[in-house]
Amino acid sequence: MPTDAALAVQLDQPPAGSRALRRFRRHRLALAGLAMIVLLSMNSAIGPWLLPFDDLFIDVMRRFAPPFAGVHLLGTDELGRDMLARLMMAGRVSLTVGFVAMLLSTALGTVIGAVAGYYGGLVGTGLMRLVDAMLCFPAIFLLLTLAALVEPGLGTITVIVALTSWMEVARIVEGQIRALRERDFAVSAEVMGASDRWIIFRELLPNAVAAIVVAATLIVARAILLESYISFLGYGIQPPTPSWGNMLNNAQQYFDRAPWLAIFPGVMITLAVTSFNFLGDGLRDALDPRMELP
Amino acid sequence: MAGYLARRLGQSLLLLWLVSMIAFAILHLAPGGPLSQFALTPGMSEADMQRLAHQMGLDRALPVQYAEWAWRLLSGDWGRSYRDNQPVLLVIFSHLAATFELMLSSTVIAVLLGSWVGVLGALRRHSMFDALSTVGAMVALSIPTFWFGLIVIYVFSVKLGWLPAGSRFTVGDGSFLDFLHHLIAPSLVLALVTIAIWSRYMRAAMLEVINQDFVRTARAKGLPERVILTRHTIRNAMLPMITIAGLQLPTLLSGALVTETVFTWPGMGRLFLDSISYRDYPTVMGILMCSALLVLLGNLLADLCYAVADPRIRLD
Amino acid sequence: MAYPALPSLDRRALLGVAGAALLGTGARAQGTAKPPPAPKGQVIVGLSQEPTRFNPLMPAIEVDQGVWWNLFSPLWNVLPDGTFSAVLAKEVPSLANGGISADGLNWRVRLRDDVKWHDGKPFTAEDVKFTIELVTNPKFRAGSRAGHDMVRDLTVVGPHELTWKMSAANAVYISRLAWTFMVPKHILGAVADPNDAPFNNAPVGTGPFMWGERVAGDHVLLRANPHYFGDGPYLERLVFKYIPDMTVMYTQFRTGEIDYTSIQGITPDRYAEARKLPGRIISVNPSASIESITPNLEMPQVSELAVRQALYYGMNKKAIIDAIYYGLPTPAESFLPKQSWAYDAGLPKQEYSPAKANQILDAAGWVRGSDGIRSKGGVRLAFTNSTTAGNQVREQAQQLLVQDWKAIGAAMSIKNMPAAVIWGDYFRLSKFDTVMVGVTFGIGPDPDVTDRFASTAIPAKGGSGRNTTQFANAKVDKLLREGIAEFDLAKRKAIYVAIQQEVRNDLAILPMFQYATIEGVKQGLVGYKPNINALSNCWNCGSWSWAS
Repeated sequence: MPTDAALAVQLDQPPAGSRALRRFRRHRLALAGLAMIVLLSMNSAIGPWLLPFDDLFIDVMRRFAPPFAGVHLLGTDELGRDMLARLMMAGRVSLTVGFVAMLLSTALGTVIGAVAGYYGGLVGTGLMRLVDAMLCFPAIFLLLTLAALVEPGLGTITVIVALTSWMEVARIVEGQIRALRERDFAVSAEVMGASDRWIIFRELLPNAVAAIVVAATLIVARAILLESYISFLGYGIQPPTPSWGNMLNNAQQYFDRAPWLAIFPGVMITLAVTSFNFLGDGLRDALDPRMELP
Repeated sequence: MAGYLARRLGQSLLLLWLVSMIAFAILHLAPGGPLSQFALTPGMSEADMQRLAHQMGLDRALPVQYAEWAWRLLSGDWGRSYRDNQPVLLVIFSHLAATFELMLSSTVIAVLLGSWVGVLGALRRHSMFDALSTVGAMVALSIPTFWFGLIVIYVFSVKLGWLPAGSRFTVGDGSFLDFLHHLIAPSLVLALVTIAIWSRYMRAAMLEVINQDFVRTARAKGLPERVILTRHTIRNAMLPMITIAGLQLPTLLSGALVTETVFTWPGMGRLFLDSISYRDYPTVMGILMCSALLVLLGNLLADLCYAVADPRIRLD
Repeated sequence: MAYPALPSLDRRALLGVAGAALLGTGARAQGTAKPPPAPKGQVIVGLSQEPTRFNPLMPAIEVDQGVWWNLFSPLWNVLPDGTFSAVLAKEVPSLANGGISADGLNWRVRLRDDVKWHDGKPFTAEDVKFTIELVTNPKFRAGSRAGHDMVRDLTVVGPHELTWKMSAANAVYISRLAWTFMVPKHILGAVADPNDAPFNNAPVGTGPFMWGERVAGDHVLLRANPHYFGDGPYLERLVFKYIPDMTVMYTQFRTGEIDYTSIQGITPDRYAEARKLPGRIISVNPSASIESITPNLEMPQVSELAVRQALYYGMNKKAIIDAIYYGLPTPAESFLPKQSWAYDAGLPKQEYSPAKANQILDAAGWVRGSDGIRSKGGVRLAFTNSTTAGNQVREQAQQLLVQDWKAIGAAMSIKNMPAAVIWGDYFRLSKFDTVMVGVTFGIGPDPDVTDRFASTAIPAKGGSGRNTTQFANAKVDKLLREGIAEFDLAKRKAIYVAIQQEVRNDLAILPMFQYATIEGVKQGLVGYKPNINALSNCWNCGSWSWAS
């Protein structure tokens, strides 16, 4: 079946003259994305220390303090906790989940894709059918089914998000490795007696790095979205630990009284996800213009 | 062609079998079970729970339970829902219409709006409109659907009071207008992502077609631009889009599930969430199998359409 | 938002008591209008969970029971004041009227002779016999057999009279029967497998309403039963609408789309606002559910009484009730609701005193470590507390408790899990440290808690009850046995008062408060009457009507 990527290659062939311009524009967005990611990360990493408020400190007398008025810059939540402090700590959690899930799923996808592509045959077919089977589940269905399996927590949520995200990488790597497998340099390495592992990781895989990096960046974006959704449903990160998603969990109930509880975390998620998507898009242009996805 | 179809069908069956094994294992290995919901019900005791577990066959070995489930499925029996004791297929069908409604209406919106944005973007390449729509599409793809739903409810239901905050229709008011009124917000929310995807693909497809020979020929023949656009360009660009529609099915299903939870829409997403939190194994299995079937069908159709639309592709 | 999909197993759990006075005014204001001569109009009941089970003998949750009350009838029911009232029976059997023999073993029930099933067939003693036998049929997936499995020699004496013998005296059975709805023999007896009978999705009963239709995931519609033998019905249609989101439910109640918000009703933070809604009457109805921190007494951190006493002193109950539950529930000391006839009003009141808590722990040898957390003999005073994930109100209460108990050197950490997980083996087989849970301990008006507090009822030790806290007290065991076999109300009360004192002194649970549901009805709806002894306030929709 044609993957989105393959299809797009055929669809999108801009004339050479405009490519530079296009790239420039995209790169500007990618740079903006990167800058935003750095800013968000710094904010989450250092921010909490600069604030006089603890994200877990409850002060019921001051609950629902509106933003941009008084000592709490972004107001307080339903238990009187400082919103800014919580947003920063939640950023730590959400970005960590996104990043670690990306590392896990990229590693898993790379190994499975590499093994399947290099050895082919029964093993390869078996593994790729597993990938196909996993892709038969719509992502959210798979995620919620997996969420039923575990006790919700930072580690388990990261793992299940990773388990729903590795398939694309596996496909990309498998394709690349299979294509390169019979090329001269791989064959000659094999003739010279190099181990399979050496050939895979030293000879073949470096050729796929560009594609993997692009996919990995997009996985971060996707992982942040998935985490926020299951936390919103109450199956994800558990309180008192804040995540952008579980901060939204309560918010709808207090719409009429404290809309900022719903607005701020959502804006943060959108900012983070957009940034990673822009970065991924730009990286794709820069690293591997062939596999341009729309 | 026939050989190809047979091979694809074989592969699909194999995949379905794999999917069923994975789903069954995950579900049944998960802690808790369908009886947990009665743990606090006044009047029921541990003795009752153990008896029920035995009567429902939940105390048997997992492979035995799987074999029985699979064997029944092969004979056309999908089992009965633990929640309402109805045959699983009936349960699924009774929720399917609501989900299809949502998917269909948002796809229509996406096709109309997304195509327009995509075509215009391609025609006025590198214009402000093109730049903004490209960036806009990316942002739209990044907004969490459930949060966007919340904001829509906040603005249009809580603040302005224009639209209902959820549900499919008002009980007792079966009018089409009432139904449309309820459909607006959720289908717009679901359409957000679809519009973004659709416009990007449409733009790319247009760009390819615009520079092809037959368009140049048409132009050389002195046909008016409008005719060229509608008769030649857009029509040809639309062809591969059918494929996209097929491939986007899982995304759309996922999106529908998310949207349904926010708008209390009584569809498959709602059913899935309820079923999984009550550990209604037969229903969850049924839904997962059906959605896998849909996804495979979407893929197959996409490939076929692709082959039909583009004679350069040969399937054998 | 009260999270869309969670099946809060702690359904009634959303909130607190109070306001009997308030309720009184509401009910009085509406109580004067006369019902219409013929059924008129409809009532739409909003439910936050979906009713899906319509065989009243199979396991179900409260929302299902709300529907059952209107389709089916029990032999007798329990009124809000705790007294029994005959429904299908002519009179409620008792020692006084000879329906129950002096030793409590022989029962005789006479039935009304004017009752018809919805399909027109007469209701007879054969149906009662069939119902009790179906419950104990080994192949039938009955909800609970308790009590019914003690029935012997079930004999149909005449078309409207039957007798049976109990294998042991059981004063609770009369309350069990008040929750047992009769099913038709001529329909369910005629199918091969009553578990999968068409009846289960097209029920036929004797209640004030008949089955109309069900739109799965959306609503259940019932129609007036023109042949109903009792009072009413006064409504043409009764609709149970499933609205999984509390915010949407409230919005629809405000706009008038639904007439009554049942089970989970209105969240406490909206109570003040809801009271100001024009044309709506809000009532706070005490529920029999008691919210508590339930410790697992076999865990070394909480097995010592001194620790539980200290934790109880260190719990700022008032702050939790006021801040999170908006002051609506009343603090509890007993496992019984204040409305129970067996309630002991003399139990010592909890006092919030971190100083006393610290004293007790110091005296008991729990020493603070460098991190401020106490320990004794290698056991750190650190434990988890679990409840249903996604239940925001509880989560907030947990977070206050974490802060409270940190001050006395106890480290509580929150470990919440999805409903299906926590209330599975984790709770049933006592694998938890502590849980925060709302439990209805009694059976209807009956205060029997053998299932909850008898040492023979610990599932983790092979028992068949629900003593998940693993409470074992020989004196309580003995009292519980006496309580079941005693039919004299005054003597029974003395027994259950003694049990309440033991449980309170041992702090088998750290009681927090008695729940109340905040429910709202549209002005003009006559007959709504909350009943703490039924599991749903839809128990009497047959008597509801619209004031003209």
